[in-house]
Amino acid sequence: MAMLYGLLWRLLLLLVHVNTALVSWLRVRLRSWKGRLWERAVALNHNPDATANPVTGNRDDGRRARWLSDGKALEKLPVHVGLLVAEEEPSYSDVANLVVWCMAVGISYVSVYDNHGIFRKNNSRLLEEILRQQNLLGVDGSKYSIEFLSNGSDKHNVVSCRPTVKVLSPEDGKQSIVQAAQQICRSVENKERSSKDISVSMLDVLLRESKNIPDPDLVLKFGPVNSTLGFLPWHIRLTEFISLPSHRDVSYDNMLDALQRYASCQQRLGQ
Amino acid sequence: MSWIKEGDLNLLEKISANVLKAGPMPKHVAFIMDGNRRFARKKNMERQEGHMQGFNKLAETLRWCKHLNIPEVTVYAFSIENFKRTKEEVDGLMELAKQKFERLLEERCFLNVCFAYTSRYEITNAVREMAWGVEQGLIKASDVSESLLSECLYSNNSPNPDLLIRTSGEVRLSDFLLWQTSHSCLVFQSVLWPEYSFWNLCEAILQYQLNHKSIQKARELHQEHQALQQLEADRACVAEHLQHHGNGKPADAQRRQEALLHYTACREDRVQDFLEALKHKRNSFFSDLCSKPVLA
Repeated sequence: MAMLYGLLWRLLLLLVHVNTALVSWLRVRLRSWKGRLWERAVALNHNPDATANPVTGNRDDGRRARWLSDGKALEKLPVHVGLLVAEEEPSYSDVANLVVWCMAVGISYVSVYDNHGIFRKNNSRLLEEILRQQNLLGVDGSKYSIEFLSNGSDKHNVVSCRPTVKVLSPEDGKQSIVQAAQQICRSVENKERSSKDISVSMLDVLLRESKNIPDPDLVLKFGPVNSTLGFLPWHIRLTEFISLPSHRDVSYDNMLDALQRYASCQQRLGQ
Repeated sequence: MSWIKEGDLNLLEKISANVLKAGPMPKHVAFIMDGNRRFARKKNMERQEGHMQGFNKLAETLRWCKHLNIPEVTVYAFSIENFKRTKEEVDGLMELAKQKFERLLEERCFLNVCFAYTSRYEITNAVREMAWGVEQGLIKASDVSESLLSECLYSNNSPNPDLLIRTSGEVRLSDFLLWQTSHSCLVFQSVLWPEYSFWNLCEAILQYQLNHKSIQKARELHQEHQALQQLEADRACVAEHLQHHGNGKPADAQRRQEALLHYTACREDRVQDFLEALKHKRNSFFSDLCSKPVLA
């Protein structure tokens, strides 16, 4: 009997996997079909009198303007977005695209995270890729210049008007909380303070000091794993989580969809 | 009469339960039971009635968990933030809780109810306890570690939840078990809590099973990392100690290794003594609380 149930269970999982594969295949087909329809519609509506300037500049201006207006059209835009890549072998170009799009749309802080610490280890490679995408997509360097924060840097930089990218790893999660706890306990050991003085805001300030950015309003999770995988446990108290199937070949529209879903959610904060 | 409704699953439910049980099952499930008020609005009921339905649904869900051999359940009943609601609603919830949970004591199962709870406060309290340990001379600041912090949380007697379910379509954690759920399977379901069904629970468990291997891998990676960090921390302490108490000559590898083993053993003893003292302190707190005259 147990064997029968075991077989049935394996069958169930197989059915689920087949269903998931079918759905994602359909999604890709639909997108390419929609894409082709759109191109045809544009070609039909194209006014031969208007100068379709083939120079890249104009197209880029159009794109940038579109991104900015997309951001303004949203009821609410997150101030800090976390990109949680829960997939093996991340694609730097796709992640770089996401970062650049987020900032073009008007998001001030973008964090990138994976639970193996791959992005942190290859920090410079990711940042190079982001700069490259910035140039490719024609995003104006001076206006959107990115501030790269790596661990422990820029403590003096309290207010940053420029979009900021932060590369995170599991060390920034529980380990940071432990380090803050050690710091507090050391000051107690040195009789600089009493255990009774320890408060939530004290811990919060310590955890913010080395990161210097607001809590993420939104985390976009890429990949099939339904877990935060150690992403900033302290800071995600009120964070909205939106899942996307994969970061590979992710499109601007996928990202915008997620931002629209975020814009429509309502936080009652306990009331 | 039992509050956790007695009664078997129907045939189809039984079969589905058996199929699911052929795979890995969560040993600890946490619920954020959200949607009572929206349910009440939807059915044109009073809010209080919505909360009542919510409690009934909790009883039913516990029954399903019993049948699915899930030994431990944690629920988020009331947050510190919820005190912002109207006095009427808060008082009503408190009264309902008192009635229902009194009856629960007659059952024998592990149900953890998080009441007037926020995770950040729990973590801060754990840090405070460790600082108390330092003040009492039981532990050193360098003994503070991830596992020690976990032992100082209110939930130290429970394993971390394998599965966290939030109903009503909200996709956030709302300051619930932030530390403990860092490697849990998160399932967000759009159904309102009072309308939760056995099939919703099965769906969530299926999600857990689909994610099981990859989450297990991530958990193991994290534990390896933790162990390495502890080892490095111990090594650093030993190195410092040898430097201060040594005779100026660099210690050989064997002496370093011996010192490391000795230091680790001492640290572990210190930590055990501290945890015993902490347990004693907490038990005294509760027995003092119970012995105080209850004001009507």
